[in-house]
Amino acid sequence: MLRRVIVTGMGQLSAVGQGIECLKEALLLGRSCFSKSHQFPELLFPVVAALLSDFQFDLALSLLSGLPSELLLAAKKAGHRAPLTIQATLIAALEAWQKAKLPLRSLEKMRVGLVVAGHNTTRAYQALHTEKPLHYLTPSYALRFQDADQVGTLSEVFNIRDLGFTVGATSASGNVAIMQAFRMIQQNLLDICLVVGTLADLSSLELQGFHSIGALGGRQFANQPDQACRPFDAAREGFIWGQGSGCLVLESELVVKSHGVTALAEIKAVSMALDANRSANPNHEGQMLAMKKALSEARLVPQEIGYVNAHGTSSVLGDQTEIDALQLVFGEAKEVPCVNSTKSIIGHCLWSAGIMEVIATILQMQQGFLHANLNLETPMASICHLLKSMQLRAVQYALSNSFGFGGINTSVVVAHKG
Amino acid sequence: MIRDQVWAALSASVLEVFPEFTNLALNPGMSLQDLGANSIDRVEVIMLTLARLNSNIPLTKLAGAKNIADIMDTLCCAESL
Repeated sequence: MLRRVIVTGMGQLSAVGQGIECLKEALLLGRSCFSKSHQFPELLFPVVAALLSDFQFDLALSLLSGLPSELLLAAKKAGHRAPLTIQATLIAALEAWQKAKLPLRSLEKMRVGLVVAGHNTTRAYQALHTEKPLHYLTPSYALRFQDADQVGTLSEVFNIRDLGFTVGATSASGNVAIMQAFRMIQQNLLDICLVVGTLADLSSLELQGFHSIGALGGRQFANQPDQACRPFDAAREGFIWGQGSGCLVLESELVVKSHGVTALAEIKAVSMALDANRSANPNHEGQMLAMKKALSEARLVPQEIGYVNAHGTSSVLGDQTEIDALQLVFGEAKEVPCVNSTKSIIGHCLWSAGIMEVIATILQMQQGFLHANLNLETPMASICHLLKSMQLRAVQYALSNSFGFGGINTSVVVAHKG
Repeated sequence: MIRDQVWAALSASVLEVFPEFTNLALNPGMSLQDLGANSIDRVEVIMLTLARLNSNIPLTKLAGAKNIADIMDTLCCAESL
């Protein structure tokens, strides 16, 4: 019998601040942190982004509460001289671990696993080291440059000894990580699983690549960076990079009940559909298929979905394709959902986007509001309600979409608990 | 190369890898192993030191070093210094 999968803990670190409460406030108030970055003077185009500012690992650790000192010490040691991506992951994971009350629970007989979303996670770290003479490259680089250093580090800090691995699916990595954790718990391979999205720390090479392929926004609004990210708006021109690391603790409902833990939400289904296309162009049929598969696996019909957290990257073609896909899914429904894109507040967190946006979905469902799509001045035509302002709304079931280059389409169904 | 410079580079490198030893009085008689360094940590400290000194001494020259004093002796005597 398939087990039900419950979210019991969440943690995050992003441009809007550290901690779930920071993200909640940013969503409620529509407070973003986009700026024009001066970190890449070699690039000939403006870089508008929502980046971490003034991040200090030891300070961020000191802001966490309710954690045993030995766990904090292990994290401090593991994060010392580590790439920013490792440090950010540790901060998000520690918060989620604490919120799920895992430090207080007996885990000896539990099968605890770990899935990390992200690939090419250390590009900025690698770029930094190419600036120095190679013969002085220290041995720790051999461990740190690899994506799986995330797995080793989290496994060591949290004493996780069951299944653990990274997953890579470009901008859909987060949802695919949730899918893997969901299936392992559902199929009774794990009791508890930490699902972490790595912060996207790009070098100028990746930014130039995204610019060259026409995916990056920020040209027209370079001097008004807070207006650059505008999903579903007529003046959208491309995605705006955001840095964020998010973490979910997923557990079997049986464990949640036996341990008396609070359920934050339920993951009802996660599905995926490929387009058989390695290029960057999105496909409304593949996106539709992913959403319909998710609904079918969750045993829901379209009109039961009250809210869609869209992929909504603020790209010209991407947003139109998603609108077309939503039309195919909800076109015949008696009621259509409200739609927003959290990327309009925190930017496109790339490998971590799916996890950040499921966290945002759960926060909104818990608090009974749906955040605004920032900068939605001239909305695209859509049968769904593209929210221009924050609304108070109770939602029982939501969809969260993530679509990636290479024709990777994913959708998560989240159910409200409580 | 003045011995003081070598000591400064080596002790700074030890503290970079092991910040918890900030208040520990390092002395040449200690070994990196005594400080809890594993094999990767030991090479890490030595390579950071070489970078600080801009030294090209091969790592093999330091293979026999039993403690910090041995490392310092080798670095001070190195041809490239």
